[in-house]
Amino acid sequence: MPGRTVSELERRFGRPATEVLARLRARNAEGGAIEQDDVEHVAAEVGLPRSHVNGAASFYADLAPTPRGRRHVQICTGTACFAATGGAHLEAAADALDAPLGGVSGDGESSLQPVYCLGYCYAGPAALDGATPCAGPDLVAQLLGEAERDDPPIPFHADVAEPVVLAGLAGDGPPAWEVWAEVVAAGDRARVGREVAASGIRGRGGAGFPASVKWGSAAEAPSDGPRYLICNGDEGDPGSFVDRLLMESDPHRVLEGIALAAYAARATHGFVYVRSEYPRARDALRAAIDEARAAGHLGTDVHGTGFEFEIEVFEGAGSYVAGEETSLIHSMEGLRGEVASRPPFPTERGFLNRPTVVNNVETLCSVPWIVARGGASYSRLGSGDSRGTKVVCLNERFRNPGAYEVELGVSLQYIFDVLGGGIRDGTGLRALQIGGPLGGFVSADRLDTQLSFEALRDVGADLGHGSIVAVDESVGGAELLEHIWRFAATESCGTCAPCRIGTRRGLDAVRAFRGGDPRSLNRYAALLETMERGSLCAFGKTVPQAVRSVAEACDDLDVAELGRGER
Amino acid sequence: MRARVDGRDVEIPAGATLLDAARRAGSEVPTLCWDERLRPYGSCRTCMVSTDRAHGPVAACTTRCEDGVEIRTDDDHARETARAALELLVSTLPPRALELPRERSELVRACEHLGVDPGRFAGVRRERPVDDSHPYLKFDPELCIACARCVRICDEVQGTFALAMVGRGFETVAAPGTGGAWAESDCVACGACADSCPTGAIGEAGILDPAPIERVTETTCGYCGVGCSLDVHTRDDRVAFVKPTLDGPVNRGHACVKGRFAHGFVRSPDRLARPLVRSGGELVEASWDEALGHIGAELGRIRDEHGPDSVAAISSARGTNEENYLMQKLMRVAVGTNNVDNCARICHAPSAAGLAASYGLAGGTNPFEDFDRAGVFLLAGSNPTEAHPVVGARIKQRVISGARLVVVDPRRTELARYADVHLRPRPGTNVAVFNGLAAVLIDEGLVDEAFVAERTEGFEALRELAADYDPERVEEISGVPAADLRLAARIYGETEGRALVWGLGITEHLHGTDGVRTLANLATLTGSVGTESGCGANPLRGQNNVQGASDMGAMPDILPGYQKIADDQVRARFERAWGAPLKPERGLRIPEMFDAAVAGDLRALVVFGEDIAQTDPDSGHVRAAIEACELVVSQEIFLSETARLADVVLPAASFLEKDGTFTNFDRRVQRVRPALEPPGEARPDFEIIAAVAGALGTDLGCPTPAAAFDEMASLTPTFAGISHDRLDREGTIAWPCRAPGEPGERRLYGERFATPSGRAQIAAIPYAPSGEEPDPDFPILLVTGRRLEHYNSGTMTRRTGNLELVPRELLELHPDDAAELGVGAGELVSVASRRGRIEATADVTDRVSPGQAFIGFHFPEALANLLTSQAVDEVTSCPEYKVTAVRIGSRG
Repeated sequence: MPGRTVSELERRFGRPATEVLARLRARNAEGGAIEQDDVEHVAAEVGLPRSHVNGAASFYADLAPTPRGRRHVQICTGTACFAATGGAHLEAAADALDAPLGGVSGDGESSLQPVYCLGYCYAGPAALDGATPCAGPDLVAQLLGEAERDDPPIPFHADVAEPVVLAGLAGDGPPAWEVWAEVVAAGDRARVGREVAASGIRGRGGAGFPASVKWGSAAEAPSDGPRYLICNGDEGDPGSFVDRLLMESDPHRVLEGIALAAYAARATHGFVYVRSEYPRARDALRAAIDEARAAGHLGTDVHGTGFEFEIEVFEGAGSYVAGEETSLIHSMEGLRGEVASRPPFPTERGFLNRPTVVNNVETLCSVPWIVARGGASYSRLGSGDSRGTKVVCLNERFRNPGAYEVELGVSLQYIFDVLGGGIRDGTGLRALQIGGPLGGFVSADRLDTQLSFEALRDVGADLGHGSIVAVDESVGGAELLEHIWRFAATESCGTCAPCRIGTRRGLDAVRAFRGGDPRSLNRYAALLETMERGSLCAFGKTVPQAVRSVAEACDDLDVAELGRGER
Repeated sequence: MRARVDGRDVEIPAGATLLDAARRAGSEVPTLCWDERLRPYGSCRTCMVSTDRAHGPVAACTTRCEDGVEIRTDDDHARETARAALELLVSTLPPRALELPRERSELVRACEHLGVDPGRFAGVRRERPVDDSHPYLKFDPELCIACARCVRICDEVQGTFALAMVGRGFETVAAPGTGGAWAESDCVACGACADSCPTGAIGEAGILDPAPIERVTETTCGYCGVGCSLDVHTRDDRVAFVKPTLDGPVNRGHACVKGRFAHGFVRSPDRLARPLVRSGGELVEASWDEALGHIGAELGRIRDEHGPDSVAAISSARGTNEENYLMQKLMRVAVGTNNVDNCARICHAPSAAGLAASYGLAGGTNPFEDFDRAGVFLLAGSNPTEAHPVVGARIKQRVISGARLVVVDPRRTELARYADVHLRPRPGTNVAVFNGLAAVLIDEGLVDEAFVAERTEGFEALRELAADYDPERVEEISGVPAADLRLAARIYGETEGRALVWGLGITEHLHGTDGVRTLANLATLTGSVGTESGCGANPLRGQNNVQGASDMGAMPDILPGYQKIADDQVRARFERAWGAPLKPERGLRIPEMFDAAVAGDLRALVVFGEDIAQTDPDSGHVRAAIEACELVVSQEIFLSETARLADVVLPAASFLEKDGTFTNFDRRVQRVRPALEPPGEARPDFEIIAAVAGALGTDLGCPTPAAAFDEMASLTPTFAGISHDRLDREGTIAWPCRAPGEPGERRLYGERFATPSGRAQIAAIPYAPSGEEPDPDFPILLVTGRRLEHYNSGTMTRRTGNLELVPRELLELHPDDAAELGVGAGELVSVASRRGRIEATADVTDRVSPGQAFIGFHFPEALANLLTSQAVDEVTSCPEYKVTAVRIGSRG
């Protein structure tokens, strides 16, 4: 990874560059576009090479060198909002603000930045007007001041006997910090790892890796300084909003999970990486950290035990790939959010090349319950190798959108009919996207599939982060296909050739196909195969599965055509 | 471990990648983002192979071998994936990407290997303008395949961090600096990016010219004492381009702006191509016969009329070992004088003297490879990222990856910014600082007691002396805060793998040898010399062959191999071999030669490859000396300041036109091979010296450089095992090497020191003030030194593109002083010392401390040595270039 030596510099000279993105953002907010002198300035402030600060500034969507208006609107172009309007809200907003998508109005007043998901999938389309969220079918009217602003809260429901993830919101789970105080007072590091190992929980961020194994590796890896625990709140999957719910509404439980996990991993410094699209989650966590420190849960002498533990919030800058752990770490180091090949794994060489555990918000939120109630209680829930509960997120095309905690193993049909109440407005279902853009589309006739890591993989989808986005028949298959390719091309980090170039070629091919040029699909099959076999990380490797599943799930698309292209 | 590659079993080390295994098995795997100098990256995906351990194809460069793994490089799926990945890459490039000669484009070779169809994934391309703002490097971003080799080599090898990848997704491309022109970036033109670039996106004119290369000559760089191996590519008897030798033992495929790019001077139109003889006050062209006849007659006359000691020669640290051997033989045998010296006198004589006194041999103690395992560097009076760039880059990388660094330098050099502690003594107070460091080591129990007891002498005297150098007292003398001094001593003393590294900031002082000896004490006290764990005491020698020139006996008191001419047995051995009587008394040192000339005692001076009128201190005095001589001969490649004043100028060959050997800073003897013919009638100095002897009626023997080396080796036990033949076979051999079967001693003194007692000598030497002190009339202390882009007198570098990089001399001045003097950045200022006055452009910077200034000495228009003094090291006569009291003012 090109910035590797820079992160070594940061470690060697004890100046982690976690400030880079924040400082660039501040310059961006003050002075419009990020220009060369902003880069010079920030590089001098943090003591990093200006070339690499320039590289980082050019990587993140929030920091693009495009000018900003006095009013900056981030408009959601995520899958759920796309499904809500077929993309019509984007053009309407551009007209309303007189600013092109990704540009600024002629008078410099307004700018419009398309973003992948603001976490309002249950009420889309949505936008962030400055720091003010607004959402609903009348979004454009809201932006024009012609309708009342609406910032609907996230509906949630625990469809389990005893909520785990939603223990603090929908259940009578242990009050936040209770378990932590007990564990740290007893000095019982082993208990956390033992119970979580017994629970069989697999990481909820998408990869499904057993959480306790990461902790053990990090605890055992040698380090010349602190070990780190990073809570991954870069909930990038369009369609998913459970992490936003937890960070905004139950931040203390998230922090307690971080503390427990860090204790097990022998980490002494925690971070919550919050995506910039979630300003409220950022603020809620910061406030909660201050409260927790005041209450003695954090600090230099936690509950009088001498244990030192601090947590800070890090704000992202607009990159889907930054949700991948190596990329996330790079962005915290003030570098481009590029993916690095593993090994070495972050648990050996992560943030500042020191042992680092990256766990998802939902995973960490389950930890206090698991430690309090015992791993065995958790392990009794679920099915097969998919133990415990999962919060699934249903988008606004459902009659009853929201976040639902369910036991793994329930059928999609149950979620679709009983929890979601089926598709609203009487239109038919074209396909369900499960597990985000790297998951896959499932057609209506596959709803008998179980919600589990294994069963979903068997039908070409993925549990991912548990998003379930219904796309109704008002959206055409080819449109959906282009949407997926556009996402892939926009978010490819650009490191490896197959993904960097393949996503662009795929998008261009589908656009040309939609424009009536069937020859554009020549080589399409070979392209998918090359990306799948040749890409460096899961992003590029999985895009082909996602686009194939669109073709397979959407009966209005000529699948044969897509598959036939010359190799 | 074992691996099976395409059916062939190979043995591989633990940690090897699939690519390592495939290469070992002789299977070809194309790569584009891989470079053996860099950490694997895995971005291009053209090295896909299949294994029995993974489901699909994997990238060979980033996948580690498991024991017994079976690898297929010819698997259809893997090959198809690699081919398609490459076809995707090619689809973003303009057709010219595939038009470079195959031997100069890894991309072209990979496409051939995989049978790429360039049009398969044709689609949109990025259009970006070419950046040709830099004199050497041309950046064509449309050819960039985002492999990041340029970025990574700039980070991981050079450590300049001038480049980064910018943009994301399809738009990703390499870019210099903050995205502006290349010339405005932090690039130091080491050229590593161009060297690594697989497509020619970053290139230099000579590489991008498709005309075929006729010859590649592996030789040793003629700039600085690092000793980089270079592959000189030539066509039409001109240098097309230079690449650092990938497996060069010192440089490992790296070089700097001088070695790689600054070769244009060799074909400069003002190269001397015919001899010149002064006639009627003017230098006029003459034939070799005329010039040599004149020299023979005059030199003979002066020798006969005024005695052999009225003749002297200044030999050249830029010349080869063989030439230096021949020059001292010329003086001793054909003239009959010991008046021969070389410019080590004016740079590192104190290092040689100090090391010999402390440890026994006049060279650095440890090999450069030991820097790779150093835990701490104490870098004193050396600015290696400019003066020894490849060493500087290596130290920087080692420091980034964790080694501690203590810098002792009045100036905030680039490496000082990477230091854990930077001590900034007032110029001239080194001895106090080193004694202070020793005092802290002793006081805080950081001395290796067992080592000191078993292998050293003199500790008690130092312990007593050290009582006078508590950090507070040293702070008073040197201005170095006591706390910093303690911290520095602790860092050095407490860290394993201690490497002491120094440069001319230590030696070029009135008490230069004392500086070296008191600095070496620190290594001795901590058991860092002659031990497995220690990384030694390492002087960074200034010129390419400053080690060798002295090794060869081009000094007034020694014969080759530092054998003392005063020693009767030694002298008798040489007299037998040379068939001529030798005098036991030492001859004149360089500064003494000038004094003797002015006094009328020295009447003829032969100057070989040195521009004494520019580079020796107090130039006014030097010029007076030259003018006082009846005959001055200059062997030169250009009409230098000295040549202009000479009576006969003999056109010589540059290092690219020579055959012989150089010896670098870590005592490695390396071959120098001619890549070009000298221009016109110019001749290698080896031939010139032999011809001058001939003109005096003496045959020096040694018909070839190889024969001269053999003769020297037969008389010099420490070189007895080295020969050109052996060097051609083995590449590089360090002295001492006492027999043809011995490998050469890379690390010295493992068993005993080479001192008479076999023990290292600890020196107890008190601090004494330097030769020049500031006063109200001359309130600022001026330090002189080298800049990255230029080399010494600049005769070579000023005739290359380097002049475009640094076109004039700059005087570094602290902002406080500049404000007080009312001098603005970029303004022409006058600089006057007690001896002379020059003008230079002000560079207002906090690299220098208040009350101090710094200037290079590369430009005759701003002759820094008009300012410097005649004060010299009391032991070796090395001039005090580093301390001159000056007055700075606006011009006029």
